[in-house]
Amino acid sequence: MSLFRREREIITRNEYVDHFDFDEIEEFVKNASKELFISHRFKTSDAMQVQPRGGFPTYEKVFRLYEEFKEAGVDVLPLTIDSNTRLNDYATAKKMLALSEENDVDMLNGYPLINHGYRTTRKMITHFDTPVSLRHGTPDARLLVEMALASGIFEIEGGPITYLLPYSKNFPLDKAFLYWKYVEKVCALYSKLNEPINRESFGPLSATLQPPAIVIVIQIIEMLLSLEEGVKSFSVSFSQTGSMIQDVVTANVIRKLSRRYADMFGHHDADIHLVYHQWMGAFPYNKEFSDALITASTVIAAMVGADKIITKTRNEAFGIPTKEANARAVASVKYTLGMLKGLPNVSDEEEEENLTNMVNEIMEAVLNDSADTLWRKVFNAIKKGHIEIPFSPHVINANEVITIRDPQENIRILERGKLPISDRSFAFERSKIRLKEGERVVDKIIKDIGIMQ
Amino acid sequence: MSAVRKKLLFDIGSTYFKVAENGTIRHWFRDFNRPIFEDLMDKCGDLVAKYRPEEIQICSSANGGLSTLIIGISNSFSLKYAINIAFNSGINIIDTVLYHEIERATPPVETIDVVIIVGGIDGVGGIFDEKLIGFLEKCTFQNIVYVGSADERNFLSGHIRRLVVLENIITEKLKINERALKTYLTDLYQADIMGKEDIKQLYEITANQIFSTPYVVNRALPFISRRLDVTDPFIVIDIGGATTDIHYSRDLVSDNITGEGGYDRLVFKKLGVYKSRESLVHTARQNEFVYELLNHLNVTENVLEEESEAATKVLMQLAIFLVLYKVSRHHSEYVELKLENLNNIVLTGGITKVLEKEDAETIIRFFYKKLLHFHQIPEIVLDRNYEIWTYGMQAILENNEATKELP
Repeated sequence: MSLFRREREIITRNEYVDHFDFDEIEEFVKNASKELFISHRFKTSDAMQVQPRGGFPTYEKVFRLYEEFKEAGVDVLPLTIDSNTRLNDYATAKKMLALSEENDVDMLNGYPLINHGYRTTRKMITHFDTPVSLRHGTPDARLLVEMALASGIFEIEGGPITYLLPYSKNFPLDKAFLYWKYVEKVCALYSKLNEPINRESFGPLSATLQPPAIVIVIQIIEMLLSLEEGVKSFSVSFSQTGSMIQDVVTANVIRKLSRRYADMFGHHDADIHLVYHQWMGAFPYNKEFSDALITASTVIAAMVGADKIITKTRNEAFGIPTKEANARAVASVKYTLGMLKGLPNVSDEEEEENLTNMVNEIMEAVLNDSADTLWRKVFNAIKKGHIEIPFSPHVINANEVITIRDPQENIRILERGKLPISDRSFAFERSKIRLKEGERVVDKIIKDIGIMQ
Repeated sequence: MSAVRKKLLFDIGSTYFKVAENGTIRHWFRDFNRPIFEDLMDKCGDLVAKYRPEEIQICSSANGGLSTLIIGISNSFSLKYAINIAFNSGINIIDTVLYHEIERATPPVETIDVVIIVGGIDGVGGIFDEKLIGFLEKCTFQNIVYVGSADERNFLSGHIRRLVVLENIITEKLKINERALKTYLTDLYQADIMGKEDIKQLYEITANQIFSTPYVVNRALPFISRRLDVTDPFIVIDIGGATTDIHYSRDLVSDNITGEGGYDRLVFKKLGVYKSRESLVHTARQNEFVYELLNHLNVTENVLEEESEAATKVLMQLAIFLVLYKVSRHHSEYVELKLENLNNIVLTGGITKVLEKEDAETIIRFFYKKLLHFHQIPEIVLDRNYEIWTYGMQAILENNEATKELP
């Protein structure tokens, strides 16, 4: 038996997993409906796929949520996993699920997939016969992903950097890389049986003042790590920055460079898609303003030609949105998209050139590291501060880069820390920044948290 | 050499007793349920009776280690950091106390070797108060060290006698700063090695000084090439049940270190495969290369939790890797050795009873390829009969004889 198979058997032989039958699962994936694969949907549809967020602890509530979404015309269903499962604490998730079921009160902020089991979850997924995207934020997602794929969830979000540095303080990065390598291998393995399993990176990162150069570098890296293991369908993503032109420039560059780097590494046969996240920062308390923000995001998603948009709701400022609010957002986004046909192509050559240069400069430093594997080159780059996520809580993150907005609301790099970007590129960034007399950078950053409020 | 033939040599390890008599070496596995002396006399009493105390020479590494109690203010920073440093310094953690729960905490009944107090970044004050002093009054401890916010130093120094104040282990960026505390704990350990009761009792059968085994092994280094096929520069890695020591030629160090012999040593407490197995696993789990290494050995990480012969073998291989890692350029806390210049790696200690030469070679090859990007590795020599310590004993005895003959 191969080491990988042995590892899979150990992972799935968990005390909270009551049953795991590799042969039966393989048979299921082989014969699963094409409609469950977002990779198939990407191939066969020109329309932008609309996907909300959402997940509840009990089976019944998720079922009702899906019914509501389907009625609103959703293209991709979400399955958001609860925080205990994300931390591999299946014992607490089990207790909280029992309490949620007994008392009809949500004791978890998502669906505890491990505790429900794949056979139960599969019933729901196959019932709706619509692609489902797994949203979680777990550095060690090995068991979770095995269960998701066995359930019929054929799109897996996350990656070793994007699901670690913005979410975790201490979880070791090297472990995260190797655990995600396992995830990629399983996805690649199942991709051979039917349509490809789609992997999606998480571009919003810490969702506050994230410079596009860093977002794109990390998206490209997670894509390459995934393709290296044999994944054939991958989605890069980013979230609304707050500047329309910066979003357009970011989309143009990420699309161009992710293809270029995939080809450079010999992954010519991989499909690459672009996902756009509606505003990920703090939402307005005024629900009409939220509606306006969502509509503006939808327009931008159409302008950049995203393959998929992930929606927000007008209730965002008030806690976890209800299923009704979520469904309404889906219907509203679909309606707006219906009006946005034949948009002109927009670009800003100077901005695109500078962003392209910065991404290439960082990538060059990463790839030039002497380590013998790509993941270790990246790991070393993060340790050295050549890549960092501004405002990340993780101990390995250098936290030396400082970003602020320019007068046009573009996110700019004010302090480059150890980012290996050239003086020329950095000078371009700095030249756009204007600080008013006596204005403190820290105040500007704090103010930015409520920029849309 | 004549002096040695008249002697009975003992090495009291944490896992084995080793006895050398007339060039013959025998081993006994220790019974951990009995005191060292009682166990030794039961197994070797007849042998001991044949020699006079002047003819018995003993070395030992079985001092049991130090114990610590850590008091900190948060699980995420102060306690976590101090636990990490204590583990890495080879210290046994008896208990940890979260400061805001100190009134409900039960003081340990046993004597603690060292209490560590930690909390807050520099600039934060008003952390500790009389509650801490009250708690400490109920504890029995030998040493106490403070490694927290600078603003608390005056208050604590004014209330705690013999308090050692070192730099804060939490930086202003909330990162770990382990150097000062680690050095302090390591020094404390070194000072303790000869003072334990178990070891003292052995003086009933010998009239000679009891040496620490790492010291004896280190004394053997200049003479190893007479008996084994090794060439300078080389290193000796001694992996035992409780500790792992590395002995190296000064040629391998760039630092300007002044000292006596041409060889030096580092002792890695708690990197043993039996008595300190838990902390070896802890260290392994923290190492950034270990998961690739396990993959290279064709085992999953679950092996670290297993209690099988196969798992012990993997742990021994890990111990070799971790020691090399700690003295490589990838790790700045210890002396950095120019491993790329090595001609030989000699392996000795309990490890030689379990590993074959090719097992060691696999791991060393991985280390050289992965960390140094070298495809050639030094020649590996296995001290199969674990006799290097006897060369050290001979060296010491010969030196004693020579000294006696001086006018």
